[in-house]
Formats: sequence, C-alpha cells, structure tokens
Amino acid sequence: MACCLQIAKPGGIRRAPACADGGGKIRNKMKPLQSVCLFKSLLANCYCHGQLHRCLLPPVAKKIGYVVGLHNCGFWRPKSLLDTARFTLSFNGRHRKKHQDSRALWKHEAVQKYLETLSKEYQQVSHLLNADSINDFEQRTLRRRCASLSPIAAAFQEIKEAEREIQELEAMCRELDSRDEKQLLEFALEEKETLDKKINMSCRKLFQLLLPKGKYDRSHVILEVTAGRTTGGDICQQFTKEMFEMYQNYADYKHWTFDIVNYVPAEIGGLHHAAAHISGDEVYRHLKYEGGTHRVQRIPETGMSSRMQRIHTGTMSVIVLPQPEEVDVKVDPKDLRIDTFRSKGAGGQHVNKTDSAVRLVHLPTGLAVECQQERSQQINKEIALRTLRAKLYQQIIEKQLSQEQNARKLQLGTRAQSERIRTYNFTQDRVTDHRISYDARNIKEILSGKEALDKLINRLLEFAEIEAVTEYLENLQALEGGGC
Amino acid sequence: MRCCTHPLLRRLLGLSPQCTSGQLSQSKGPVLGPKWLSLRQSCSARPGLVTATDVANYWHKVFETNGIPEARESSEYIVSFVLGAKTFQSLNSRSLHTPLTAVQQEQIQQLSNKRLERMPVQYVLGEWDFQDLTLKMRPPVFIPRPETEDLVSLVVEEESRKCEKNSGLCFPVPVPHPVILEIGCGSGAIALSLLSKLPQSRVIAMDKEKAAVDLTRENAHRLQLQDRIHILHRDVSYSSAKQLLLWGPVDFIVSNPPYVFHEDMASLDAEILCYEDLDALDGGDDGMRVIKTILTLAPSLLKDSGSVFLEVDPRHPNMVENWLQAHPNLLLVLRAIHKDFCGKPRFLHIQNQSG
Repeated sequence: MACCLQIAKPGGIRRAPACADGGGKIRNKMKPLQSVCLFKSLLANCYCHGQLHRCLLPPVAKKIGYVVGLHNCGFWRPKSLLDTARFTLSFNGRHRKKHQDSRALWKHEAVQKYLETLSKEYQQVSHLLNADSINDFEQRTLRRRCASLSPIAAAFQEIKEAEREIQELEAMCRELDSRDEKQLLEFALEEKETLDKKINMSCRKLFQLLLPKGKYDRSHVILEVTAGRTTGGDICQQFTKEMFEMYQNYADYKHWTFDIVNYVPAEIGGLHHAAAHISGDEVYRHLKYEGGTHRVQRIPETGMSSRMQRIHTGTMSVIVLPQPEEVDVKVDPKDLRIDTFRSKGAGGQHVNKTDSAVRLVHLPTGLAVECQQERSQQINKEIALRTLRAKLYQQIIEKQLSQEQNARKLQLGTRAQSERIRTYNFTQDRVTDHRISYDARNIKEILSGKEALDKLINRLLEFAEIEAVTEYLENLQALEGGGC
Repeated sequence: MRCCTHPLLRRLLGLSPQCTSGQLSQSKGPVLGPKWLSLRQSCSARPGLVTATDVANYWHKVFETNGIPEARESSEYIVSFVLGAKTFQSLNSRSLHTPLTAVQQEQIQQLSNKRLERMPVQYVLGEWDFQDLTLKMRPPVFIPRPETEDLVSLVVEEESRKCEKNSGLCFPVPVPHPVILEIGCGSGAIALSLLSKLPQSRVIAMDKEKAAVDLTRENAHRLQLQDRIHILHRDVSYSSAKQLLLWGPVDFIVSNPPYVFHEDMASLDAEILCYEDLDALDGGDDGMRVIKTILTLAPSLLKDSGSVFLEVDPRHPNMVENWLQAHPNLLLVLRAIHKDFCGKPRFLHIQNQSG
C-alpha cells in the first residue's frame, strides 16, 4: 500500500497508468465484493458532495484514484485523494511506512479543520472558566468539557509545533550547500527523523483521544480456540494447539494472567478445544481482532502415508469475548438443568463415585456449560454457573457489539462471523492478515507470541483506530452538513 | 483394612477373580491385551518416552478390562495426582506431553495397583476435596459425598439469615458467635468446612470411631482450624446431654448420620463394602436408628429456636415427619425439606420450639 502512495506522487495525466497498476495490486489483496461495495460508496459520495467536477483527472484514473486514496488513509472523500497526492514529503525510511496511515489521516483537511475547532473550543472554554460570571452548574459542565479537550488540544499543538520545526529544518537543509556543512546536514536529518517519530506517536495518541473509548477495551477476556475439520490428518488439532500456546505466550509477554478454563486434547495429539480466562491491562483491546477463522497451510508432520504428504489446508477458530468484571445477570434456578453422573441411582451414602463433572443447561436459551476442573462437585457447579452467567451476559454484549460494528470492515471476533482473517502458510513461512494485507515472514516468531505478534496486533489496532476516527468524523460531518 | 478376599463376599459382589488382591500384586498382573502389554513393557523399558496422556490411556484400558468402575476417571485422577494437579482437565498441554520420570511412573503404577483392588480413588490418593478444602482420607473413615457439600451451605445460609434478621432490628444486639455440634464427624469435612466458612463459629465434633477422631484432628491441624474445634471420641447413643454441652446449649446440630437401610447394604459397591466403615452407613432396618437418637437428644442440646440439619435418604423426610408428630413432647418441628442437586429430598431442617 505504501508503494501506491509514492506511485501516486507525480501529478496529472502521468499518474493514470501507474495508479491502475497500484489499484490492481490492491484489488488482488482485497475481497472483490468488498471493493465493489466501497467503490460504489465512493462514487456515491462524490456525486453527493457535488465535487466531482473539481477533479482534473481523466475518469478512469479518478475511479482508481479513489480506491487508492481510500486504502491509503481509510478516508473516502474525493478531497482525500488530493490530500494524499500532496502527501509525498520525503518519506523513504522503511520503518516509517507503517505509520503513514495515521499521518495521512492527520494531513486530511477535514481532520485538521475538526481539530482546529476543538482547539478553539478549548481556548474559549478555558477563557470562560476564568471569567467569574458563570454559575456553579455551568462551571461544572465547562470543567468537564475542558478536561476532555485539554489533552487533545495539547497533542494538536505538539504536532503543529513539531511540524513547524520540521519545516524550519527543511528550509535550513536547503540552504546548507553540501561542502563544509555536511556534518550539520547529517545532524539536521537526524533531528528531523526524531521529530518525525514524535509526530507519528503523537498522531496515534491524538486519534486515540478523539475516539470514543471502546466499551469493553479494558475488560478481561475469555478466549476460546476450536479446531476445524479437515481430511488432512491432525493439522487442525496440531495448529489449534500451537495457536493456544501462542496466546498463552503472548499473555506472558504482556504480563497478563492466563487461566485455562478447559482443555480438551485430541486423541491423536494436538488440541480439539480450549478456553482461557485472560486478565490484565487492556486485554480485550489487544485481543479483540484475533477472533475469527485462522487458516493453516502445511504438510502434516505425522501419521500420514506418503500419498498424503502434500500441502493440506486446515482451519481453527478463535472467539474472543470481553468479560466485564461485574456480571449482573440473574439466573433463576428453575431455569437450570444440572447434569451430573449422580442424576441416576440412589446418590448420597449409597454411592462413592469420583466423577465430579458438572454440566449446566440454561433451559430458556439452551446454553450449556461444563466444568470438571475441580474435584469438588460444588465448586465445579459454581464455576459453571459463573461461566453461564458470563455467557448470557456476552449474548447481550455481542448484540450490542454487532450493532456498533456493522459498518466496520475490521470485524470483531464474535460468534456471528466466520470470516477467514489470517493465513499461516508453513511451507512459505509466511503469515498474512487478510484484513489489512499484512505479510510477515517467520511463522515461528509469530507463534512464539512475542514482538512479532505484538507488532501485527498493533498494526491491526492502528488500522481500526483510523477507521473508527474516520467513521466518527463522517458522522459528525453528516450531522453538521445535514442532507445534500 | 478389610479386603475382598472372603469368597462369600466376593460372590455377593459378583467380582471377577482377577480382582483379588493376592493375585494382582505378585503374579502375572492384571488382564491385558497384547497391545497394552507391549506398552507396559515399553513403560518400564524406556521410561523417558511415556507421557501423562499415554499412561492415563494405558491405565484406563487396564481398569476397563478388569471391570473397575470409573476406569477413565480413576486413571486420570491418579496420573494428575502424581503430576501435582487435582484433575486431568486442569493439566496444561505442556505437562500432558512431557515424558514422565521413572519415579513418577513407579508411583502411578503403585497407586493404580491399589485401585485394581477396588480401593476408592480417595483412599488411593490419600486425599480428596470437600468444597474448597483438601482433606486427608484414610480407610476406613467414611469418604464425604458431594451431596454433603450442600448440607454445609444450608447451615451457612441459615446462619447468615439469622445475622441479617438481627441487623434489621432497631437496636441490633450483638449476636453471640455460633456454636455448632457435629455428630459423626468422620474425616471432619462438615465441621472444618463450617469453621472456614463461618470464621466466628466454634464446633464440637464427635465420632465413635478412634480412626475418625484422629483423622478429623489431623485435618484440623493441616488447615490450621484446631483452635476453634473440640473433638470428642464418643458414641452419641451412649451420651448424655451434659457430656456434650462443653460450651453450653448449641445453635446448630449438624449431622450426616448413617442412613442406609440395612437391607440396601448388600447392594453397595465393592469400594464401599470393602474399604469404608460400614457403621458410618448402616442406619438399621429403617435407616433411622441414629437419626432418632439425635432427635431425642436435640431438645436438651439446642438453644431456644436452635436448628438441626440432617442429611437423609429420600424416603426419610416423610418418615421423620411422622415420627416427630408421634413424639410431640420433643417440641421439634420440621421446618424445611431441601432437595439435593439431583432433585432428591435429601436435607432436613428441624427446629427447636421450646422456650
């Protein structure tokens, strides 16, 4: 994607073929249906705002251009194209590319305008607060507004400041004519790099501030993994086991607590199904985009005749559900059916059995929960009841989430979606996240659940943030602009 | 410890001859198919290559072949115990797939051999859980059943209801800390669980068996609850109220008395018949022998409106109600019948009406 940006640099007519190239690449990575939909919405937006005539590009280039613009910054106003076209500065360091999305959004005129407004409002509010003429009630409202605006205004000023410094540096660099001042030039470039980094960081921080906080971001999480079905021997189960361990390691890496709730190993080795309760700092925020179908492509390691020694494709699914700490769902004991081995026979002193597994069925919803983690049947029942209450609560949450998320491209891992989100290709040693067209080499590193996975997850988060900010601003504009 | 060697008992239980203890430990070992025999050989020959899952599967098969009840559960509990976990399900994949050491395999082998003799898993491991406590278990002391966990909860609920009622008064009087008498404490499960759930309470626990009294004392010390428990070695049938009133009248009497009808005794599992103290189960012809003793003694032990909580056979609630009506001088009334988790009427709440 980043390369498309740079291809788009030269203006006017010459851009057309280059863009067509870039657009094609993107479309290959995207699901076709989705691109068509987005494309339609782009065009609709264009006409709606009556800005089409302002574009100087030939029609085809325009269309492709929109696609490029959209995917570079996740923003689909026709203006965004112009902005991204201008957004070409002197970016060439590889590490910077990953931040271009936030930066591009920052550069967008509508975003700038919005931030200016907020910044002005902040000044007004703090001015009003200093004046004595307001009553208590007003003051309280203003204080609250001021408190929420102040970090935004500060970050905004910080970025502006840094940009000004960069401009000065650039101006200075132009005057520095090679020869004697080579050292100074190097110093200036170094300085610029630091400033760039700072801007990128601040941009992300700013957008996080702008975003309405994810409702469950700070929640603990229940993570469930389930092996898919395949004819390819044990690869699904094997892969499921590796994935579960990956999350276990990631929890470790993040200093989270990882408690296994249940673990059903497959008889041929590997893992059928497992669930864990993960608690710690912002667990749900980091894991929410892990939900979905993960695909594996590899040659089975064991138990295969030579005929079967070819690349097999398997899947496993991950469900990530937030676990708010206070689960306030009342379960009427009358609605529960409790299954234990004791249900038949005399029970009591007549029987001495050790099977303490408990299965609870919530009759109105048909939800069933099992627990056999403990030797005490009563404790197993308590755990099962807790899990059941959490699950009932999650049904409510899921409904809410899916309503909130309907429009978003980056789906959350609720039960409702079975979208394939990522592929782990062992033969090519490559992990691809299909939602953001992210490729990573070295599967082992990702599966070890450390930096590599963290990087991928952060990339997803950033993408989601941009999408959310965009959506947020869209809604604001729609509200302000009214119908067209 | 009793063993199932008596031929009559063996025939009664319909046990296969392989189950007898003599044959097992010495001669050719339990019945095995050739496949499992080879695994067993490989177990001892190449100790480094056997995982917990392998061993659990192996013993599951052996138990099944030998007609041991709960073959899978037994094998899994034994393996997880040796690995330091409580259940197989709570083992993570790493410990499931790490090869076992020779010592661990030896331990599993020894414990499994005991299970092959129909020893209850709780005795094989020497411990079991009751609610959130882990208690030592030793034959022939009665092994607490899961139903009894709910008996404890009923007492705890009643106590908190009493406290609530009091705090709702205009002038709440400080509630004296509850004193509880447990009759037939066995391993101490009920008494110790109550002590840990009701940190202000004190318990007098009595049992007629020396082994039970000793085990209760040991468990109390292990759980550091010895300061609030008084343990009496005494048979309730030969006790007067005066001998039991160490701390004055009590708030609660709680008991899981022997309540199995004598005629049902022969149909119990070998695990129970061969290893558990049958006096802790056999309630006489109507299963009420000890229940009646407790109820007769209760009025002179209880505070005014104090309560008796009993675990009984599902046939007993009606029988007890009739018996109480036939003995109105006791001034006891059946307050409630509670069901166990299987929906069977299992627990009786009887209250003192005097005063």
